[in-house]
Amino acid sequence: MIFLTYMSDIAQGVKVMFENVINQPHGSLGLVFLIGVMFGGIIQYTRVDKFEKIAGFAMLKDTIVPKMLFLTVGLASIALYFLMDAGLAHAHIKPLNYQGLIIGGILFGIGMAILGKCPGTGPISIAEGRIDVLVASIGGLFGGLVFILFFDDFFKPLMGESYGKTTLFNFFQDKELTVLIFGLVVIAIALLIPKLELCDKEEDCS
Amino acid sequence: MGILKSKGFIVSKQKENRLTWWMGGILMAFLLLLTFSIYGANRPIGASTYVPYLAGVIFDLDPEKYSYLKEVKNAGSWEGIMLLGALFGGFVTSVFITKTFRLSFIPSGWKQYKNNSVLSRLLWSFFSGFILILGARLAGGCTSGHFMSGMSQLAMSSMVFGGVVIVTLIITGRLFYNIKE
Repeated sequence: MIFLTYMSDIAQGVKVMFENVINQPHGSLGLVFLIGVMFGGIIQYTRVDKFEKIAGFAMLKDTIVPKMLFLTVGLASIALYFLMDAGLAHAHIKPLNYQGLIIGGILFGIGMAILGKCPGTGPISIAEGRIDVLVASIGGLFGGLVFILFFDDFFKPLMGESYGKTTLFNFFQDKELTVLIFGLVVIAIALLIPKLELCDKEEDCS
Repeated sequence: MGILKSKGFIVSKQKENRLTWWMGGILMAFLLLLTFSIYGANRPIGASTYVPYLAGVIFDLDPEKYSYLKEVKNAGSWEGIMLLGALFGGFVTSVFITKTFRLSFIPSGWKQYKNNSVLSRLLWSFFSGFILILGARLAGGCTSGHFMSGMSQLAMSSMVFGGVVIVTLIITGRLFYNIKE
């Protein structure tokens, strides 16, 4: 009986999730799902969801993930600037709260090195049958639970004060020149990082 | 001869069945732009807010009672639907395109540089999943929200996060794994 009540609560929660997406102006339900399909497809097809890619980078034996990430950022930064300039996209900047960023970044970096996944690539690993990552997702859900329960008393104060939604544009006059230099430097970093690959002996060693 | 030929075929087929890093980077940039644009979702890509949102659903918490659940109501549900798509896209790609779907408990790199114990891998997975999400939520984003979406907007917060993560990642990799064989 308790179980049935619980299941109906879950079903209700999932229904509310769908309604929330339908009711917010951030793409239709189908489009949001499709964005997810493409996200999962690109990550699986490039195999950057593998342990050997992120943990391999932590061991400095694989550089596919930073090369791909820097290339994405370099290309997207330039294009996004002109999209925003034309009014076809809007800025969504996260606040500069050093305490949260540094403490969070340290926890995140340790977790990422040990798990060999980030929260974006983890689900793709589960979808290809990785049981260890499924267990990690349960750990993650407990992490989320702890964060919700102690947000007001502990985590929010720990995040510290925000120094605003600052970008590089706050420091330089010429915005176009800034974004062009930034984008080209980041693309150059992607190209210049030496290509290293840690082979997965159970899959491919080509 | 026949065996050699078929082996050669398999190797070349595997090479074809993976996108290069630069192709992946270009496609991901397009997906990011589509998501950002007003013709797409008019918002960034994020992939860690869905975790506390789903924790609220699974642990059956009343969204009205917890300030953080109120805060992540929209972003969390959006990413929840995107997650469903990502699971579907990842599953279909692994089964039909890369043909890499298989149930496994320990990645081969863990066997090579850590140990052969399933229990050890699962316990470390649980622990690392736990701190990964606490860290992402403290920082307000992850690889997708900060590194990709934030840095593409030249956000200082994302550059601070990215720098701290890369340094911590490499230090942890050095200390945690037996990298000297």
